Amino acid sequence: MKIAISSSENNENSKVSDRFARSEYFIIYDHDKLSFEAIVNTAKDEGSGAGGKAVKILGDAGVDIALVPELGPKALEALLAFDIKSYQYPREKTVKEVLYLYFEKKLPELLISTSKGKH
Amino acid sequence: MNIAILSGKGGTGKTTLSVNLFSYLNKGTLIDTDVEEPNSHLFLKGKLIKEEGVYKKYPLVDDDLCNYCGKCGDFCNFNAIIPAKKKVLVFQDLCHDCGGCSLVCPTDAIKYIDKEVGKIYHHQIDDNKLFLYGNMTVGEVSGVKIIETLEETTKNEEILLIDSPPGTSCSTVAAIKGADYCIICAEPTPFGISDMRMVVELLRAEKRNFGVVVNKYNLGNSEIFKYLEEEGIELLEKIKFDREFANLLADGELLINHSEYFTNKMANIAKKVLGDKND
Repeated sequence: MKIAISSSENNENSKVSDRFARSEYFIIYDHDKLSFEAIVNTAKDEGSGAGGKAVKILGDAGVDIALVPELGPKALEALLAFDIKSYQYPREKTVKEVLYLYFEKKLPELLISTSKGKH
Repeated sequence: MNIAILSGKGGTGKTTLSVNLFSYLNKGTLIDTDVEEPNSHLFLKGKLIKEEGVYKKYPLVDDDLCNYCGKCGDFCNFNAIIPAKKKVLVFQDLCHDCGGCSLVCPTDAIKYIDKEVGKIYHHQIDDNKLFLYGNMTVGEVSGVKIIETLEETTKNEEILLIDSPPGTSCSTVAAIKGADYCIICAEPTPFGISDMRMVVELLRAEKRNFGVVVNKYNLGNSEIFKYLEEEGIELLEKIKFDREFANLLADGELLINHSEYFTNKMANIAKKVLGDKND
């Protein structure tokens, strides 16, 4: 199982990002190998449709779960299409801290988008 | 001859100038290309003679034919089509209707279907004038297609006035596409001048001839006149701010029906821009 977290920097001790699809990095935690990997979020500079593209990056990386600060309607639709579940983390935490919160089942699952799409 | 009236900043008097100049002319056609919030029609009393839909195409994917190769998603610059695991997502409002995804699809799984993005209303004004305006459907992102349709419909008019959208984005570029001459309607405020500079830059890049009407010239400061002189830009006319004008406009009245001062201004602009074409 792979878990992706939107991150402001490239390691598991970084602060989580305030934006999902326009974060600098995604930290991918591989629960089978107990390893972390950072991937650069190439969707963040898209003029439009960053949400869909970011989800595609996660889908292609084989992610099963995304921990996110917020989600627009397009990103949520794309996550559902890629069978990726999403959970909302509180701000100002580190990547590791929100992962612990996830495993303690303290993060709410997102079933509706938390923000309107931005153009 | 096609004349676009534009401003950069909103609220400088584009529509006031457009509808009054149009009403002053003996003949001609006016199109309101500010399709996100058209308002020329509030001043022009005419007869609605035609109403038509404007359509944009967007892709529809046949899941039975799709092999999930991902080429459509790789091609799209706007992330409007995202191939997921068992279905291909299409975000209609992101699509720019370029047709690229269906071209690169190896299994012909992508068709294009129509979606109404707005309407165009044709009005007969007096016996010999036409007025058209576009209105974008609420929720749509871009009015460019509607503006292009307005311009295509009226490309052979003898005299065409184009009331343009504010700003210098895609909509404005589309509105001035067919213009032979542009009138910048500017106001002498810091914001007005700053936005006018962007319009000047746009018109120079697009190689358009243009002149400036300074509206409400007795407000703000004299910076704008200095700028026009320094840049060698023609000052077509300056029009004063008058509270009575504001009252009349708020009542939906044409200023040329009430003010000799304003009528003279329109006459002078028409003469400078159209020469003897209005005779």
